[in-house]
Amino acid sequence: MLKTIIFLMTFLMAFPAYAVDGKKLLEQVDRNLNPESYETYRKLINIEPDGKKKEFTMFSVKKGQDKIAALFLAPASDKGRSTLRLGENMWLNIPNIGKPIRITSLQSVVGGVFNNADIMNLDYSAEYDVEGVSEAAGNYLLLLKARTKTVAYDRLKMWVDKGKNLPIKIECLTEASMLIKTLYFKDLKDFGGGIVRPAVIETDSPLYKGYKSVMIFAKIKKRSFKDEVFTLTYMPNLDSLR
Amino acid sequence: MKRNIILLLILLLFFPAAVLAEESYTFDAAEIEKKPYHLGGYAELRPVLNVLDKDAALYKLQYYQDPRSTLMEWNGRFQLEGSYEKGIGSVFVKTNTDLRYSTFANGSERTAIFDGYGSLKPSPSWKFEVGKKTLKWGKGYAWNPVNFIDRPKDPYDPDLPIEGYIMATMDYIRSFDGPLKTFSFTPVIVPVYDHINDDFGVNNRINAAGKVYLLLYDTDLDFIFAADGSRTTRMGMDFSRNITTSFEIHGELAYIKDYQQPFLDNAGALQSRTQNVVSGLIGIRHLTTFDLTTILEYYHNGMGYSADDMKNYYSYIRQGYNRYQNTGNDQMLNVAQNLATGGYGRLSPMEDYLQLRLSQKEPFDILYFTPAVTVMFNLDDRSYNITPEFLYTGITNLELRLRAGFIRGSRDTEFGEKANDYRFEFRAGYYF
Repeated sequence: MLKTIIFLMTFLMAFPAYAVDGKKLLEQVDRNLNPESYETYRKLINIEPDGKKKEFTMFSVKKGQDKIAALFLAPASDKGRSTLRLGENMWLNIPNIGKPIRITSLQSVVGGVFNNADIMNLDYSAEYDVEGVSEAAGNYLLLLKARTKTVAYDRLKMWVDKGKNLPIKIECLTEASMLIKTLYFKDLKDFGGGIVRPAVIETDSPLYKGYKSVMIFAKIKKRSFKDEVFTLTYMPNLDSLR
Repeated sequence: MKRNIILLLILLLFFPAAVLAEESYTFDAAEIEKKPYHLGGYAELRPVLNVLDKDAALYKLQYYQDPRSTLMEWNGRFQLEGSYEKGIGSVFVKTNTDLRYSTFANGSERTAIFDGYGSLKPSPSWKFEVGKKTLKWGKGYAWNPVNFIDRPKDPYDPDLPIEGYIMATMDYIRSFDGPLKTFSFTPVIVPVYDHINDDFGVNNRINAAGKVYLLLYDTDLDFIFAADGSRTTRMGMDFSRNITTSFEIHGELAYIKDYQQPFLDNAGALQSRTQNVVSGLIGIRHLTTFDLTTILEYYHNGMGYSADDMKNYYSYIRQGYNRYQNTGNDQMLNVAQNLATGGYGRLSPMEDYLQLRLSQKEPFDILYFTPAVTVMFNLDDRSYNITPEFLYTGITNLELRLRAGFIRGSRDTEFGEKANDYRFEFRAGYYF
């Protein structure tokens, strides 16, 4: 009898979660984080265990599901560098070297805990399928699986604020469920134009013990771009979009 | 109260990261404000110690009047750049000053405008530029056989900026849905007259070149041509593609028509041969899960000298050196020095090379620290150069690099006949 009551209680508690369409929820999370096409200014801060910091300021533009480009504005040593992502293709253009070279999502153009996939992230719904959705401590917990082998993380565990449909925390995992890093979404901010989202993403990783990286958004604005902006030939000209 | 203070002190002492976690971050709007102008630069100090090989042919050629066993060089570099943008137009200028001092060559200074051009960007599909600039065509890391227009880059330091040529260029870009995602066309005009690109080739010519770029089936493809003018006709193509997310393959192929090459025959007489030549490069770039990047490239230099050609050259230098020792006449050595600038002294003068570069990003969790080793192997004569290096970029805008060179080979080989056996270099560069 006791077993039946426990089963029924568990079932009843879990039931509302199954009523949620995980795919729609993930798409909603994407749209709440960013418009489909937009420009943004971000600062990345790498913090070492002794508190020493290194900062990078970037201007980024995104269009549709698979096009994103970013330009480094500071520090002086990185100014003018640009990155481009077209689906699974990624390039880095360094002004002195001149020609764009192919880079991978697991590399990091800034060092620290953020890798290129974090810096040039596409919509989660473009890269991941929802494997499961449940409720955890009053939030949704989405279990996501990468659609292809080329995605940086095989699995994600995403905690979503139930009222706002915005991520609170994301754990990035390998196929064997080993934790690579955790992203914490903080400081809800109204960016105008109906965009209300966390202005700070912090990350730490068991692979970089004691290190932390932070991404701060200063401005996010809906904007449309021509496809030609997202090409190798255009990479040196990204500053003219500002 | 006292207990709380003690607790706070313990927290500060043992968990500084936890305290930092609660720090509020600032992002001042002034940091992202776009100004119409930009000024910046780079300053570098680079001392180099060369340990010389007194038996090497190139040592005898360089130091026959001033023998020594080591050479200390003090090098400095100062670059200034500025830009101004208004509407669809902009101008960009970058100057470069190289300073060098050694007890052998005393002091020297050279200042040049590396880049100086005006741009018009009426739309994302069109760009027009006129002035001094580089094109950087090709996909190779150490060599670019299809880079028909630019000055050659240093395969031992490929990231160094190089001086441009005066030219007019245009970019036309189109994007598509489907397997062909991008098409772009870049025609180029390079004039060569007195005081305008006069080191490019034959004078009083207007040279036409161009590049078509395609992103086709996730592969970068370039088709490149340079028409007959100051240099003979050249055609080429390159490609780059990710086989997996962490494995990239790239290559270049170049055809050079009627290439004229001066050479010394085995009697020491200066000859010239004209032939159509093919140069090519194939390479890979691989990244492991623990951030070890491997770059491996094979380069065939169709404009290079064979092992026999080089033997004749080294033999000629030795004859010249002996004559100088016996008679004080250095005419043969002067001829050999002229030949060095004509081809024998190029950074990759021979035909077949293999370069392997291994770089490990941030080992032992040391952020911004990258140790690397580069091996340059001459496949024609089996001589080689090993270059280990340590790079640290942890201080904002400061780049520190410590590098050594171990240059090895038997007599009559490229690296065996280099003037130095070892090379130690420290480079401190500051961006502002």
